[in-house]
Amino acid sequence: MATILINGEEHTLPEGAALNAIQAAQLFGVDIPYYCWHPALSVVANCRMCEVEVGTRDAKTGEIRMVPKMVPGCQTPAKDGTVIVTNSEKVREHQRLIMEMLLINHPLDCPVCDQAGMCGLQDYSYEYGQSVHRFVETRNINPRKEVSDQIQLNQDRCIMCTRCVRFAREITQTNELQVMRRGDHAEIATFPGEPLDNPLAGNVVDICPVGALLDKDFLHKQRFWFTSKHETICTRCSSGCNTVSEENRGALWRTRARHNPEVNDFWICDEGRYTYKAANSPDLLTAMYVRTQDKLNVAPVDQAVNTVAQTLTRITREGGKVAAVISPFLTVEEAYLLAKYVKGLNAANVLALGPVPVVGEDQTFTPDPRKGRTGDTSFVVCRPFTIRAEKCPNRRGVEAVLAHFQGSVIDHATLADRVGKKEFKALYVTSDAIEPAFTAADAQKLRPGVDFLVVQDVWPTELAAAADVVLAGATFAEKAGCYVNAQGRLQYGKAALPPRDGSLPDLDLLCILCKRAGEGPVSSRDVLRDLAAEVSAFAGVASGKVPVFGQPLGAPADGQAEPHVYVEPWLITAKARGERFFVDAPAKS
Amino acid sequence: MAKFEPVLTRLWDVPDGHTLKVYEARGGYQAARKALKMTPEAVVQVVKDSELRGRGGAGFPTGLKWTFLPKGRKETFMCVNGDESEPATFNNRILIEKDPHQFIEGIAISCFATQARVAYVYLRFEYINAFRIMEKAIAEARAAGHLGKNIYGSGFDLEIYCHRGAGAYICGEETGLIESLEGKRGWPRIKPPFPAIEGAFRKPTVVNNVETLCCVPHIVERGADWFKSIGPPKSYGPKLYTVSGHVEKQVCVELPMGVTTNELVREHCGGVWKGRQGKAAVPGGISMGLLSAAEFDVPLDFEAIRTTGCLGLGTAAVTIIDDQTPIVDVLYNTARFFAHESCGQCTPCREGTGWMYKTIKRIKAGGGRLEDLDVFANIADNLGISPGTTICGLADGAAWPFKNALAKFRPELEDYIRTHQSAAKVTPLQEQVTRGERPALFDPPPAGARPALTTTRK
Ligand SMILES: Cc1cc2nc3c(=O)[nH]c(=O)nc-3n(C[C@H](O)[C@H](O)[C@H](O)COP(=O)(O)O)c2cc1C
Ligand code: SF4
Ligand code: SF4
Repeated sequence: MATILINGEEHTLPEGAALNAIQAAQLFGVDIPYYCWHPALSVVANCRMCEVEVGTRDAKTGEIRMVPKMVPGCQTPAKDGTVIVTNSEKVREHQRLIMEMLLINHPLDCPVCDQAGMCGLQDYSYEYGQSVHRFVETRNINPRKEVSDQIQLNQDRCIMCTRCVRFAREITQTNELQVMRRGDHAEIATFPGEPLDNPLAGNVVDICPVGALLDKDFLHKQRFWFTSKHETICTRCSSGCNTVSEENRGALWRTRARHNPEVNDFWICDEGRYTYKAANSPDLLTAMYVRTQDKLNVAPVDQAVNTVAQTLTRITREGGKVAAVISPFLTVEEAYLLAKYVKGLNAANVLALGPVPVVGEDQTFTPDPRKGRTGDTSFVVCRPFTIRAEKCPNRRGVEAVLAHFQGSVIDHATLADRVGKKEFKALYVTSDAIEPAFTAADAQKLRPGVDFLVVQDVWPTELAAAADVVLAGATFAEKAGCYVNAQGRLQYGKAALPPRDGSLPDLDLLCILCKRAGEGPVSSRDVLRDLAAEVSAFAGVASGKVPVFGQPLGAPADGQAEPHVYVEPWLITAKARGERFFVDAPAKS
Repeated sequence: MAKFEPVLTRLWDVPDGHTLKVYEARGGYQAARKALKMTPEAVVQVVKDSELRGRGGAGFPTGLKWTFLPKGRKETFMCVNGDESEPATFNNRILIEKDPHQFIEGIAISCFATQARVAYVYLRFEYINAFRIMEKAIAEARAAGHLGKNIYGSGFDLEIYCHRGAGAYICGEETGLIESLEGKRGWPRIKPPFPAIEGAFRKPTVVNNVETLCCVPHIVERGADWFKSIGPPKSYGPKLYTVSGHVEKQVCVELPMGVTTNELVREHCGGVWKGRQGKAAVPGGISMGLLSAAEFDVPLDFEAIRTTGCLGLGTAAVTIIDDQTPIVDVLYNTARFFAHESCGQCTPCREGTGWMYKTIKRIKAGGGRLEDLDVFANIADNLGISPGTTICGLADGAAWPFKNALAKFRPELEDYIRTHQSAAKVTPLQEQVTRGERPALFDPPPAGARPALTTTRK
């Protein structure tokens, strides 16, 4: 059993973990400040913020031998007998010096900087820096430049941590970013005519610890402290990347990646990053409609839902069959309720999987622990990142539900043919896709086949225009619930926006149709509990709670302790870290 | 003491000494033939026994370095450090230009000892002449069977490639050199892993200085005991001293280690120039710090030099500074050099060197404050691998001249600050320098000089 000593306290290291001093200290609640280190990138030890005093303790005699000079924590392996001191006067003195040095050529323009509030320089200045500095010369002025159409680089704010360069070199292996010039005039640069435009480029903005790399999409639109952060799942493709959606005043402003080592590691793709815009669209459906006298008229929610319920009940009573299209954009809870409702009307009713959009081919980035790297990689665990061609979040989840209720999965094209043959009296189509999923051709094909057509969607499509009842559901941002990603992992995402005016989340619509007991908005967790009790594939989440990193579909509850979610130190509020500020030292002469 | 017989420089005055014919006629490549009949381990042992210490700056025992290579390795590279960018150092250049075959023989023996089948000679960008001479010499040696496949029927293969840098001091640092050789930006790597374990192209690599390798053939030929008969303990062997600065004659002389600054100036350089006195001297490249006139009798070897507070012997490039030169000017030049050459990787070195340069520039221009000296002292104390705050030793080199100057010349510096409170303009050049117009190395280039495509100026 490996034990280490951090600031005089003994801790036991987890079995078989290859950690550096920063990671080990983090594990036991001790912060070692750092900039250039990132768990997925090789160690270069250039910012020099994480310097600590280290030593070894003799296993037999217990005698402690310290290394005379300071060493970077990122480069120091935490092994049995390692002694780490993070709070000595020597270390603090050094931290003050580094903060002073990082700021001598910094413009200190926080009031106009997008990073303010989530900035490593601000946080560490407060915690480890000092309020005076001794530099009285003129500052260097570095040009601001564009590294791509999407990303701007405020070079004067850059602290040369090279995280962005290493990302482009090691993760995407596209090498767009370089360091140019030397000394305190070193700059991050792209080659002329070769912008930073790889599919994962936006991540450099996430990993830049300061306000140097900024997303022009977000530039000067919001302040970090005004937005509420919601832990969401990206629905752009079937990878199911974990994201943070920032919301303010009823709109989304930005999406950032959230750490999940089982799925997306620390990254998201740009397509997913900018998907949030769809949820702010002014074109979304903002009312329910019912067809009267061959015309779609705006109708109150209860009228619309009642029309659906009554008509479908009548058709069932008259011996007509109902078909339902369950969209792969629905959560498993919604899919479950819809399937239960339709099959509850008549076991012979037919359920089909909605259209599964496929664009191009899967694109996988496979970081290599050795290729193209120059730093130390002994603490790096390399995980591939895939952008899937299947552009929907929940095909597997819906299929699992269909398999339970119907034994087999019928695809949308097959169903459309059967509708064309007038096999059904009524058709209930759901969508909630990120872009409008149905065209005039779909309307021409499906509409004549049935007497009664219900469309539950967020977009006013041609199909909706042809429907008898249009139910305005929730966009991806407005719904909470679970998705099963391409790897078969069940993950839970929160809602980031309240329901739009005139709409009702699909879960609530379906609860009303199912006549589910209880009043007011339903919680997806309650529905998940019902689903887990009824469908064996979901039995692992019988508690209604999905683990932070998700859980493979069909696996039993793992009952493990809370895993370690990596969050950049400058994104953790001082409160969450506990008030551990140091008293400012007297100014040096 | 018996008269010292030149070793490394013995062919310098011989006509056509740089050709293979002359070199062989004087017993050249006999050491290589001898070494290749021994086992590699035996060659390493001889070099180890000779206690040869690296001439590149750090003075690390060469034989010991070679034993750090992992056992059972498949591939090894030899990198010869001919970057020689330490100011006022020029012995490697003359060694290569005057006697390239001695160098090639040294490489061949060292490669055999370390089982490296490929050697890269990393030459400073400006050494175009040395580069051409090396290319020619390598071709000659190859044609004569001293290089190539199955040398002397021993089954040992060796190829030597010359590579020119692109003009950066930092590419002389061993891992910076390796990065540059691999075609990357010359940013030193963190250690461990040391190059002996993981160096060029991630293979075990030996990095040695040109002069270090030039000593090897002589050690193999004449034995470790002969080598140890030259020079004081722990600093054995002959050494090339380059003396420049304010002396009558600037020279590169070969001497047993341990001469003093005074001996060098008096006996080899014709004294300090213009009949002046020396005030200070750089002992071995400016990174090593400054000697005061009182220390001119300290032997210049690996050990004794440390008693003066200097960093070490460095490259044994001695620069004499006369008594009419303000130390501020020396520090100004030094700071400018390091601010320009810092690779920009480590925060303390990147910002610290720039800070020191800007401050000394202000002091020189007549705007100094006494507190500035304390700031210098604090920065210098916290810069470098000695306090553990940087990746490579460049930062130590930037700090040491300041440390030494503050320890040895503080009264003069304070005096300068007190008496230079208006910009005392001496020459038009100095006036320009004072105004900060020259050199324009640090000012951002005009907007038009950058690719317009991706750059907008604020
Ligand atoms: C900033 C810096 C510059 C250096 N420049 C050179 C150089 O130009 N030539 C050289 O031989 N060694 C230089 N060195 C020393 C090398 O890192 C290394 O110690 C040396 O090449 C090893 O060879 P040796 O053992 O034969 O001395 C430099 C070191 C530093 C820190
Ligand atoms: S732009 Fe940001 S990530 Fe890149 S080196 Fe500068 S501070 Fe680091
Ligand atoms: S100490 Fe200076 S020169 Fe050396 S790696 Fe760091 S920044 Fe570069």
